[in-house]
Amino acid sequence: MWFATVETSRTGPEEELLGRPIFNFRLQIILGFFTFFILSVLITAAAMFAINRIEKKISSIQAWEQFLFNIEQARRWEKNYFLYGTNLQDALQSTEKARTILSENAADLQVISMPWQKEETIRNMELYHAGLKKLERLVEHEDNPPGVQGEIEVDLRRYGSKMVSDAAALAAKEHELVSRWLDLVQRVPLYCLVFLFFLMLYMARFLSIRFMQPLKDFVQQTRRIAKGDFTPLKPVRKYRDEFTTVEVAINRMLKELERRQMSLIESHKLRAVGILTAGVAHELNNPLNNIMLTAHSLLEEYDHLPPEEHTQMIQDIIQETDRSRAIVHNLLDFTRENKSIMHSLDLGRLLEETTKLAFNQARVRGVPIELHIEPQLPRIVGDRQQLKQVFLNLVLNALDAVEKGGRIAVKARNADHGWVSVHIEDNGCGIPPDVMPHIFDPFFTTKSVGKGTGLGLSVSHGIIRNHGGRIEVASRPGKGSVFTVTLPRGAVDDPSPNSNHNRWMGENRP
Amino acid sequence: MIYPEILLIDDEPIVGQRLKGGLEKLGCRVEVYQDPLKALDRIKEKNFDIIITDVMMPEVSGIQVLEASKAARPDTRVIIITGFATAALARECMEKGAFDMIAKPFRPSDLRSLVANAAHDMGFTSLKGEPGDQRNAEVEH
Repeated sequence: MWFATVETSRTGPEEELLGRPIFNFRLQIILGFFTFFILSVLITAAAMFAINRIEKKISSIQAWEQFLFNIEQARRWEKNYFLYGTNLQDALQSTEKARTILSENAADLQVISMPWQKEETIRNMELYHAGLKKLERLVEHEDNPPGVQGEIEVDLRRYGSKMVSDAAALAAKEHELVSRWLDLVQRVPLYCLVFLFFLMLYMARFLSIRFMQPLKDFVQQTRRIAKGDFTPLKPVRKYRDEFTTVEVAINRMLKELERRQMSLIESHKLRAVGILTAGVAHELNNPLNNIMLTAHSLLEEYDHLPPEEHTQMIQDIIQETDRSRAIVHNLLDFTRENKSIMHSLDLGRLLEETTKLAFNQARVRGVPIELHIEPQLPRIVGDRQQLKQVFLNLVLNALDAVEKGGRIAVKARNADHGWVSVHIEDNGCGIPPDVMPHIFDPFFTTKSVGKGTGLGLSVSHGIIRNHGGRIEVASRPGKGSVFTVTLPRGAVDDPSPNSNHNRWMGENRP
Repeated sequence: MIYPEILLIDDEPIVGQRLKGGLEKLGCRVEVYQDPLKALDRIKEKNFDIIITDVMMPEVSGIQVLEASKAARPDTRVIIITGFATAALARECMEKGAFDMIAKPFRPSDLRSLVANAAHDMGFTSLKGEPGDQRNAEVEH
């Protein structure tokens, strides 16, 4: 068997790849050469067979020709006898020779390609021979009854000419056959060569396609992978071959890349949190300060204050503590490490939460963030944290781009054909055209060392692509940039499964 | 008796509420604003001895208040309140002539000491607080 079927109950990309029957290039090459060998053997055997047949034919033709020669000789002597009364013995001798040839070669002569009435030839031969013998006896006994010789002459002439014409026809036929065989022997190798030539062309083409196609596929796949699509390779061909090892290795690499991508997203998220520190400190220190001031006032002036004031101040403390808790939870919720879970999301609320994260950072920079969310914006399906990370990253980038007194707008609107788009616009420095093609490349940054990792947009790009969307950018240097994130509308409109969780996290604020 | 005139600006209403009484007890006249724009208008109208302002507020920052105050009256003592003190901010404030800086969260007594210091610096002697015992604003690098 050429194919070994491997039974497997496991599933998964690796098992799918390995679960195919083996039909590798070694086998294909061996199979190709084996076909050539078999063909060569067949051609050689056919040629040998044909040559053997021709040899036999030739010897049979020789026999026929000798037979014919002797019969004709006998007939000539016979004619001499009837004309001049001589050469009867010679005629008998030639006839004997012809008889011997016929009986000796009967087996060979049998092997001819046209129906040959052997019995008739032998009978004619015997009758002719008997006629001559009878004539000889007549001559020996000097007995010449009138009419007998004439009768014999008629018989001899009849049998003799029959034999001659039969033998001549057979010899001619055999000649024709031999030349036909020779013709065939000449032509068949030519045909075979032509056939072999085309077979070779086909095999060369077939093998090179079989070699080149997987390589081309790999080039395609690496392009896809370079863009950050880490879906494992699927079996394309029916059989397992040498490339399967490479495919399995690539899949292993993809798994590793995906794992790293996840940790990259995670670490980048933490970086974003680091950037947010100033804003968060401001945000958190306000309620803390309020608590501190209120508590101290309470402590210092407890006895001088009316009880209503006491209650009011304690309520202030509680309210400000709640405020601090919400800030911390908002941040923690963003940083919490969790597996990517896709669920139905309210994009408007997600953007509100995101801008809230960046709000104080923007205040520190003196840049207002405007949020325009189209009413009745369709829900989307996605990972809340990861999408927040993307939008936060884009907002923080915009903050870096604008000067004091700049402006950032986040707009979410319903786009055509089942898409929702989010525009993050700024009127900052813009992106120079020479930098533009590289902004989504990993580790590309225009910020000074230690300021930016150059991973923000690349990570964002990866996240959005995983959501089936895309990020586009339009920029005019000196005028500002617009980053557009387009996401597919969520098909399912189920109640958010983590609404409870959100309330617990204190995020259900208007 | 001359009382130091104080203007306090913070967009957090509790700050004004809680500090006003304490400062008045110290012997100051205090005006509290939550909207810095209104406060800026008031600064142009009236000469304040001491201006206490939060740095981070919507529309107008504490630095702008500082500049406006110094422009209106160069010898005004300006105390900056900040939620997140950085060396850069401290440098900027000092370069622009701020009297001192205090980081949130702070005790009411901390601010009172600062105000007393500022008043003392301006020559007011009638204050009830003891100047000189305040901590300096903690500057985080």
